[in-house]
Amino acid sequence: MAGAAFVAWLGAAIVVLADGRRGLALGLALLTITLAVLTWPAGMAVGSVAIGVGGLIAAVQCWRSGPAEWGIMPAGSTPRLILCIASGLLGFWLAASVTTGPDASRRFAVLLVTGLMGARVLISRDVTVVLAGIAGLALALATASGLAAGSPGPIPAIVGGLIAAGVMFVPAARIPSSIQAVAPARANKDGT
Amino acid sequence: MEPELLLAATIALGLAVVFAPPRVPRANLLTWGLLGLAGMAAIAVAPSLDLVLLILLVLAVLQARLASHRDFATRLRAPVLAVVLMALGLAFERMQGPVVLERFGAVGIVAGLVAAVGLLPYAHEFDPEESVVASPIPWIAFVGPLLAAAVVSQASKVVPADAGDAFGAMLIGLGLLNMVWGSVGSWRTANDSAAWRYSFMSDWGLALCGFGLAIADGRAAALIILFSVVLGRLPLYLWSRQALREKVPTERPINLVVAAVLAGSAPFAGFPARVLLLRGATQLYWPLALMLAAAMLLWLPGSLRLGRSMGVPRGRQAVGVAIVLALNVLLGVYPQPLLALAGL
Repeated sequence: MAGAAFVAWLGAAIVVLADGRRGLALGLALLTITLAVLTWPAGMAVGSVAIGVGGLIAAVQCWRSGPAEWGIMPAGSTPRLILCIASGLLGFWLAASVTTGPDASRRFAVLLVTGLMGARVLISRDVTVVLAGIAGLALALATASGLAAGSPGPIPAIVGGLIAAGVMFVPAARIPSSIQAVAPARANKDGT
Repeated sequence: MEPELLLAATIALGLAVVFAPPRVPRANLLTWGLLGLAGMAAIAVAPSLDLVLLILLVLAVLQARLASHRDFATRLRAPVLAVVLMALGLAFERMQGPVVLERFGAVGIVAGLVAAVGLLPYAHEFDPEESVVASPIPWIAFVGPLLAAAVVSQASKVVPADAGDAFGAMLIGLGLLNMVWGSVGSWRTANDSAAWRYSFMSDWGLALCGFGLAIADGRAAALIILFSVVLGRLPLYLWSRQALREKVPTERPINLVVAAVLAGSAPFAGFPARVLLLRGATQLYWPLALMLAAAMLLWLPGSLRLGRSMGVPRGRQAVGVAIVLALNVLLGVYPQPLLALAGL
């Protein structure tokens, strides 16, 4: 399981470091597989399948949208690299040293993937990248439900998988040319 | 508390659609309002905070895809930050570890809630000319109240007693900050639309303090305040947008009455909420009641300004304003049925 946690970190780091669709898809696929593997032993077989299917659909859709390139570690990505390494170390310390109990790998994956996906959405303006980050975040939330003491059932995982799969198909509205052309004060006179 | 707030949001949507100004596209307002209501219903019945966060994520993505001056990524930032903070806080609460971790978890949940609603220190970017459905207003005045009630209710199941103090203290601290900042902002800011947004913040400050007190009086005060936000301030803001664009301040009796509603004076809904809040604060720690009473005085100048900015409602809007005033008087004079319905 320690290997799965490392691969989860690797997948999340690739999503953070990649700007091209292929890199994002690879990161999402790695994330999905490891989160599904980490969820399976917690008695969430159905949830694990839902996470796997939802995440892989998101990865495939990501592969098909956006610029056809890997875009991993483009120029200027040093802060992102530092973020990935520092968050990995912090997550490892929290999961292995500060907290106790079984499932240290899952704790590490949940903390790390949640934090890194959130950071990815906050630092990006590109729609494909933001949607990939949200898909990863939904998968992390689905996995996090398994940390609860009582069995949460498969519903959070199924919902998380559905959101991860569905969010990649959301068309972001473009800023209408009328809004771009005129002054903001005149853009909407309807009041809604 | 959630079913009552869902009912209030449904009534508010009905009022907003039926009594909307003639140029407002009602179908658009109704479609997005119903979508928001569906999300709120899902939040109300969600059995765990995980599901609430996932539903919040869906609502954020759907709202962000609306056409607006702000781009998709910018509009998603605050809700995503909220989800991340609450998810990390929830994870900390569920892990076995030192008490300080549980306290960090409580802080994360409160910070996430504040970020989701759009209060200080995570106020959403606000463009006065943006359409209401695409703006931060639905978060602070439509979805937010029910979301807050659901998050506080679910958090009480996962935050242990050791961290309960941190949870309440954070709510009260942020509540006081928003009360003061919102009241002063709604009084001093240059733009009238921004003044309305600040006024929502100040009301939320009271609600946060009510939740933070964690006693029956505090929760009752929070419920009434959130009701007055959804069924008072929100429709009045929607109907004031035309006058805000025309920038014609008016000083008729109706403007004074609207100012009284917004200031929470008797006999309107804000008054019993303030009394309950002061009573609860006195039971818990009397200097807090003193601070709350001082902060409540700041409502008056901002409310007078907002009342004037509403213009003179005519036609349908006049009927809508009359209904809102009647509802607020009803809640102010006899809030007991609402509180009994919520089990408070």
